[in-house]
Amino acid sequence: MSATLTKAKPTTDWAADEDEDDVLPQPEVIKNKDGTETHISYRINDDGKKIKTIRKIKHTVIRQEVNHRVAERRTWSKFGVENGRKVGPQSDTTTVGENIEFKPRANYKTTQAVEDKDLFANQKAKLKEAKIKCRICSGEHWTSKCPYKDTMAPEGEPGPGLGDSEEPEATQAGSLGQGGSSYVPPHLRKGGAATGERMSGGKYGERDDLATLRVTNVSEFAEEADLREMFGRFGHVTRVFLAKDRDTGRAKGFAFVSFADRSDAAKACEKMDGFGYGHLILRVEFAKKAT
Amino acid sequence: MRPILLSGHERALTQVKYNKDGDIIFSVSKDHIVCAWYSANGERLGTYHGHQGALWTVDVDPTSTLLATGGADNTMRLWEVETGKLLKTWDFGSSIKRVEFSPDGRQLLGVTEKRVGHVSSIVVYDIDAEKGTEQSDEHALRIVIDYSKATVAGFSYHAKYIIVGHEDGKISQWDGKTGEWLNEIEPHEADITDIQWAPDRTYFISASKDKTAKLIGTTDLEIMKSYATDTPLNSAAITPIKDYVILGGGQAAMDVTTTSARQGKFEARFWHKIFEEEIGRVRGHFGPLNYVAVDPTGKGYCSGGEDGYVRVHHFDKTYFDFAYEVERELGTNGTTQARI
Repeated sequence: MSATLTKAKPTTDWAADEDEDDVLPQPEVIKNKDGTETHISYRINDDGKKIKTIRKIKHTVIRQEVNHRVAERRTWSKFGVENGRKVGPQSDTTTVGENIEFKPRANYKTTQAVEDKDLFANQKAKLKEAKIKCRICSGEHWTSKCPYKDTMAPEGEPGPGLGDSEEPEATQAGSLGQGGSSYVPPHLRKGGAATGERMSGGKYGERDDLATLRVTNVSEFAEEADLREMFGRFGHVTRVFLAKDRDTGRAKGFAFVSFADRSDAAKACEKMDGFGYGHLILRVEFAKKAT
Repeated sequence: MRPILLSGHERALTQVKYNKDGDIIFSVSKDHIVCAWYSANGERLGTYHGHQGALWTVDVDPTSTLLATGGADNTMRLWEVETGKLLKTWDFGSSIKRVEFSPDGRQLLGVTEKRVGHVSSIVVYDIDAEKGTEQSDEHALRIVIDYSKATVAGFSYHAKYIIVGHEDGKISQWDGKTGEWLNEIEPHEADITDIQWAPDRTYFISASKDKTAKLIGTTDLEIMKSYATDTPLNSAAITPIKDYVILGGGQAAMDVTTTSARQGKFEARFWHKIFEEEIGRVRGHFGPLNYVAVDPTGKGYCSGGEDGYVRVHHFDKTYFDFAYEVERELGTNGTTQARI
C-alpha cells in the first residue's frame, strides 16, 4: 500500500486515519556514480519507532564456467522446509565463518611440536622465575614447608607461641589472615576495625529516620521527581526513595521521603495523607525506625 | 580460506557427501532430516522428510538424480534429488549403517547392523532410475557377515569387488557379482569407521578408531601407505588434483565435554598422501569431526561435526601451490594430473 494511494481516498474511518501516520516512506534505491547502489529502507521496530536503514551495496559479478548439468541444477526450485523461500543463502542456515589461515608446509609436525613445546617451556620458565618466598622466614621454600611454622606465625601476625618477640616490620592494614591455622573474621583482622565501622552508615550514609515519611498507595506510574516536587512544598526534602520493580521498572507502590527538618515532615504528613495522586489516594505516615 | 557454516541440522552430523560434479552437498544427521546444499554459496536447496530415526548414511548416484539414505529406523530409502520425493523404502530388521551406489549408479549397497536376532549383512539392490518408485523389493545379492560385524562397505571399480570394513579392524574383499569371499587383511586394531575411494576406485583409504588411516589397494588389499595420528579417526578422504589425504576425528563424543576444544583435537588433518607426512590442520569444529568429504573436482572439502555444523571450505591458492622440493624438481608440482 503506497502513501499516495491512501491520501487520494478521503477516509472517514478513524482507524485508517491512524494508519496513515504510520505509513512508511517507500524504499529508495539510488545508483551512485562509482557503480555502487545505496538502498534506503524504512521499518518500524519493536518499540514502535521508525528505523531508517541505509545500505551501500557494491555488486561484483564473478563469472564461472560450469557444465550444463550444474547450471541446470542451479535453477531447481527449493523443496522441503525451504519450499517457497527466495533464491540465495538464508541467514538462518548459512553463515560465513571467520577466515582460517591454511598453509600446507613440509615439516608441519616438527614445527608444530616445537611451537607447542615452546609454549610449554615458556610457561615453565615463568613459573621458575617466580620466586618462592616463605611468609614466615622469607626463605626460599613454601610457607607450609617452613621449619619454623610451628613456632612462628607469618609476618604481620602475632605468633602463636612466642608472642611478639620478633616484631614484624610492616603491618599490612586490612590484610587477610594469611597462613594462620584458622579463619579470622574481617572485623578481627589487623586494621579491619575501620571496615567494621563503615558498616553502620549503610548505603545512603547517616540518615535521620525521625524526619522520614512512609508514603504508601502510590501509583505504579509515579516518578521520584513527582514525589520530590509534591513534598518539596513543605520544606527541604533530603531524600526520596521510590521502590521500583527490578524487572518492569514500575513503582511498587510505596516510597520514603526524608525531610531536613522534622517539623516540615510533620506538616507534610498532615497535609499529604489522603491526597489524591494519579487516581489513588496517598497514605502518609512517619516511617518506623529500621531495625 | 573462509569456511561456510551450514547450520540446518539440530543434532550431530553423521555423513556429508558431494555429488559427482561437486555442486551439491548432502548431509544427514541424527535429527532425521536429509539436507541438500549448493556447495558454492551454502544455500540450502531442500530437505528430505520421511525418516523416523537418526540417519547414519547418505549417498547420491553419479547422475545426481537419486539419493539413498539409511538410518536407525531400520529403513533404507531412495529419494528423487530434484524434488525431495520419496521413491522407495526398504525395511530391515536392524539399522542401516552405510549405503553406497556402484560407480555406474545401477546398484545400491546397504550395510545392516548386527542386533539380537539379526546378523550383520551387506545387501545389494538393482536400481533403475527410469522406474522411479517401482524399484525391486528383492535384493540382488546378500552377503551375511557372520563373524565380526561390518561397519562400512563400498563398491570397487566396475563394482567388481565389495570391500567391507569390520568392527575388529579387518578389511575383507568379496566378489561384487557372486558375493563370494575372496580375501581379508587386518590393517587396524580397532573398528573401521570409514572407507573412501580414490577417484578411480583402484585404491581406498580406511580410517579407524585405532588412530591410524591406511591407503590400501583394491585388488590385492596391499597396504600402501599409513598415517598415524594422535586421535581416534572417524573419517578419511583422498583429495583429487593434489596428493593429499584429509583425516577427521577427535575424542569420542562422550568425553568431549570434559576437555577443551584445543585438547579435543577437533581438526581436519591434511597429510601428504605419498610422503606420509602431516602438512597442516584446519580448525573450526568444536566437536569431533564425524565425516570429511572432498569435492570430486578437488576445489574444496566439507566436514560434518558432532557439533551439528557442516563446514564447507573452498581451497585457496596456498593449498594448490604447495609442493615438496622433489615434486618441484620433477616438474609435477604435486599434482596428480600433471604426472599422468
